[in-house]
Amino acid sequence: MMLVRAFISHYRRHPLQLAALALMIVLATMLWTGVTVLTDQARTSLFQSEQAVATRVHVVRTDAQPVGVDDFAQLRMAGVCVAPWLEIQRPPPEGRVIGIDPLAMGCFGEAAPGGNAGELDGAPFLDISEAAKLADDGYDSRLYLLTANGSVVLPEGYALRDFSLGPSTGELADSFLLNLDALSLLVLLITGLLVRSVHRLGIAQRQQSFDLLYRFGVPRERVRQFLALELVVLTGICVLPGLWLGAQLAGMLGGGFGQALDSLFDVTVYAGSAESLPWQAAGVMVVLVLAVCLVDWLLPRRWQTAAVSARGRLLAVAVLLFGLVGVALAPGLGWVFVGTALVFAGTGWLTPGLLALLARWLSDRTDGKASDPLTRWRRRELAVMFSHLALPVVALQFAMATVLAVQALVTTFEQTFDEWLAQRLEAEFYVEVPRGADAGLAAEHLQSLAGIGAWHRVIRGEARMTVDKGESVPVDLFALTPVSDLVAGWTLLASIDQPWRGLEQGGVMLNEQLARRRQLDVGDNLTVTIADSVISADIVAIYADYGRPAGEILVAGGALPESFRARFESFSVNPGDLDMADIREQLADVWSVPEVTVRDNASIRALASQVFGQTFLLTRAISLLTLVLAAIALLIMGWVFFTTRVWYFRLLGIWGLPARAIQRQLRRLSVTLTLAVTMAALPLGIWLTWVLVSRINPLAFGWSLPMDLYPLFWIELGLVAAVTGLVVAHLMRRQLVQRAGEAQGET
Amino acid sequence: MSSAVLVARGLSKDFTSGGQRVPVLSGLSLCVRPGESLAVVGRSGSGKSTLLNLLCGLQAPKEGLITVAGESFRRPRKSSERSDDDARWAELRRRSIGVVFQEANLMPALSLVDNVRLRAHLAGHATGGERGWLERLGVGAEADRYPDQVSGGQAQRAALAMVFAMAPALILADEPTGSLDRHTADAVADCLFAMQGDSGCALVLATHDSELAARCDHLLDLSALDPAGTE
Ligand SMILES: Nc1ncnc2c1ncn2[C@@H]1O[C@H](COP(=O)(O)OP(=O)(O)OP(=O)(O)O)[C@@H](O)[C@H]1O
Ligand SMILES: [Mg+2]
Repeated sequence: MMLVRAFISHYRRHPLQLAALALMIVLATMLWTGVTVLTDQARTSLFQSEQAVATRVHVVRTDAQPVGVDDFAQLRMAGVCVAPWLEIQRPPPEGRVIGIDPLAMGCFGEAAPGGNAGELDGAPFLDISEAAKLADDGYDSRLYLLTANGSVVLPEGYALRDFSLGPSTGELADSFLLNLDALSLLVLLITGLLVRSVHRLGIAQRQQSFDLLYRFGVPRERVRQFLALELVVLTGICVLPGLWLGAQLAGMLGGGFGQALDSLFDVTVYAGSAESLPWQAAGVMVVLVLAVCLVDWLLPRRWQTAAVSARGRLLAVAVLLFGLVGVALAPGLGWVFVGTALVFAGTGWLTPGLLALLARWLSDRTDGKASDPLTRWRRRELAVMFSHLALPVVALQFAMATVLAVQALVTTFEQTFDEWLAQRLEAEFYVEVPRGADAGLAAEHLQSLAGIGAWHRVIRGEARMTVDKGESVPVDLFALTPVSDLVAGWTLLASIDQPWRGLEQGGVMLNEQLARRRQLDVGDNLTVTIADSVISADIVAIYADYGRPAGEILVAGGALPESFRARFESFSVNPGDLDMADIREQLADVWSVPEVTVRDNASIRALASQVFGQTFLLTRAISLLTLVLAAIALLIMGWVFFTTRVWYFRLLGIWGLPARAIQRQLRRLSVTLTLAVTMAALPLGIWLTWVLVSRINPLAFGWSLPMDLYPLFWIELGLVAAVTGLVVAHLMRRQLVQRAGEAQGET
Repeated sequence: MSSAVLVARGLSKDFTSGGQRVPVLSGLSLCVRPGESLAVVGRSGSGKSTLLNLLCGLQAPKEGLITVAGESFRRPRKSSERSDDDARWAELRRRSIGVVFQEANLMPALSLVDNVRLRAHLAGHATGGERGWLERLGVGAEADRYPDQVSGGQAQRAALAMVFAMAPALILADEPTGSLDRHTADAVADCLFAMQGDSGCALVLATHDSELAARCDHLLDLSALDPAGTE
């Protein structure tokens, strides 16, 4: 059949065109698969870290003896859903691991700590039998019996207690995952652009043969059908290796961390890659490739030519402005996403044209260097490259913007999380006040200890806050006494001068979500009902509180009335010159209980940070992969495009420009190209960061993250761009030399 | 003899194609003095373009000696000699040898006048006279257009303007009118010969066109000295 022969003979003469498209599809599938797998892993890691520090309920004996295996058996026989939770404390750097029994968690259903039974392999959870072995090795261990909820009926001799390892990170994690999902969408968009650009270029280069076929009497429809078939076959073939490579890659990236943990714990605590290939990712990819490559034949021709006309540009500006305004004013998350999509569409539409315009404008200047005809020529060539390489240029711009935003976001999350955890776990030790014990006695005792470091008593409970029209709403109450140095390092979002003194003198502080929800600010007056007394207080500060959706007010302990009943009390203690073991014994005496629960905050923090760190690592990996792919696409495109320009560089040689000088021109051309793309990506990246932290987060969760920029990273990105440019130049140079040799074919 | 711009002695050139050695030129000699023109004719594939490439250093001969504007070249023995030769050839092409091909002589990203300016600049001439050259070649009105906005004949005139703007000692033209119709080809050739006469430079012109060849002072027929003897 003539058509098949024509198609095959074309590729026989230009195997690289076919290879470029195939490579692009493989790489795009690899990236997308990698992103899917890594995002799933990030989700799992976060879930586990959250589980590691979440508040739960556990069963204690009323005789204050530690629970054991007998208690577990007795409770299970009484029909209470309990699961063992064995904490092993190893000295740093190993830190703490937790043994759980996945089988015993069956009755927990969805709420099972440590994830589903099948996902027992992430840090910090081990199977309880493995953990028990560590306990036998002499490491400090403690068994807890967790229950699914706080409303179970217990047999005689048992009571329920809150089981808190630290502040809840649930919302912070959810917010991060939302951002991660948004970024995955962006990655999909970029891969689509890249595949499309390579496919379009191939089509453009074959246009002449298609015209010829048409003149030979083959209907254009038929050629298109063949092209579509060709694409389907190629995609089908290339998606499989891409899928496999993506899973491999994700396994490598995820596994690196897992292996580090393996060697620390001598047990498998993290399974890197998924066991089965993520087939949905392949499905999404096939649909994407076909959609982006075949869309031209579905759209009317008129639209395509209109897109690059002056009117099209005007429309693009309108789309961009509309998107910008939309994102700034959007009342809901959905609108923010739509607005962001519009901004990207408008930017992508405009960028290549604007860059080309800029290059032409520079070339038309007649002062200084621009008066050098060679410089003028180079700038003109640059303008041509911008318009001919529009798609990969835009893809690279988007990829760079994504990397910038991810970098800023992840660093911000990391810092925020770290700071916030530090301020919530400010003391070295955390002491639970046993049920029924008098915290006041303990406070008096701590007060009397000479040489003790900073400490304070934390009281948690409920209060009601009066809002307009005398109506009142419940809020969480958080009280500190004394207001010690431990809180001095808190980052406050807004405050009066000396806010902590203000708090001691009867002021209140609010968490950010409450302030946003009720539109309250520092200096406003609040009426709060605590137990039976009503107090009126000025807001002295607003603090960041990322963990929970609930509104919370913070008062000094002295402001609490006698009748107030705390839900939960604890002490945060820095032992200072004293030994914590002694303090622990003394408190046991004061409270007349056999044992006092003391937690080491550093290890809780280390544990949570470690698992968060894993997530951040994965996220960075995703964005970096995107950048690499975009750079590869630019390399391919630059190389293919250069085949159409190579003659003009040879012409320079014919006109007597030495080979070195030509290479210098090439380098300057391609490095300018990539650096210009970086410059164009900067504002988009900064804007995207702002959208993520200041628009999406407040709308989704009621609090915002600090907006930090990292100019050092911009420089790093610029270096990456310069290197990409140099590699492009190198490829072009090889082509130049190769072609010249070919033309000579000398003996 | 000493006043010749271009002298070649015993030039030979082979190509390998499919592992086989194909001789193209062998033992060819020629000499062109200032103001003279030499037509190189011959069947397609007889080696006209190859000869011109040898004469401007774009390809290296297997054997032979070439002297252009006082610079002599032999087949280099060492790689250092080769790069030295490359540099000397580049300098010659830059200032003394104007090369014109059948088409694609212009940078598509630059207007005609900018093309001429770039060429003159590379040859070391002060810029400023470009429009004058374009006018003398009859394309003054098109000076600010881009190569894809002018006809083939106009583009070739602009290419000649570029060559004359560099004030060369030698012009190598490879079928400069090959893709033009008779009328346009004649007009462009008129320009070429008139300007060559004015400037007093030497011209080597490869062509299929016997009328054009007849306008040159000397004729070199490569078919007559086919090195393979057959084909
Ligand atoms: N790079 C090369 N490799 C192998 N053979 C070549 C190469 N370049 C030219 N030849 C061969 O050398 C011979 C001379 O080629 P050349 O281009 O000089 O011919 P020509 O006389 O200019 O032909 P035309 O009139 O068609 O332009 C031809 O047989 C050609 O096939
Ligand atoms: Mg030829």
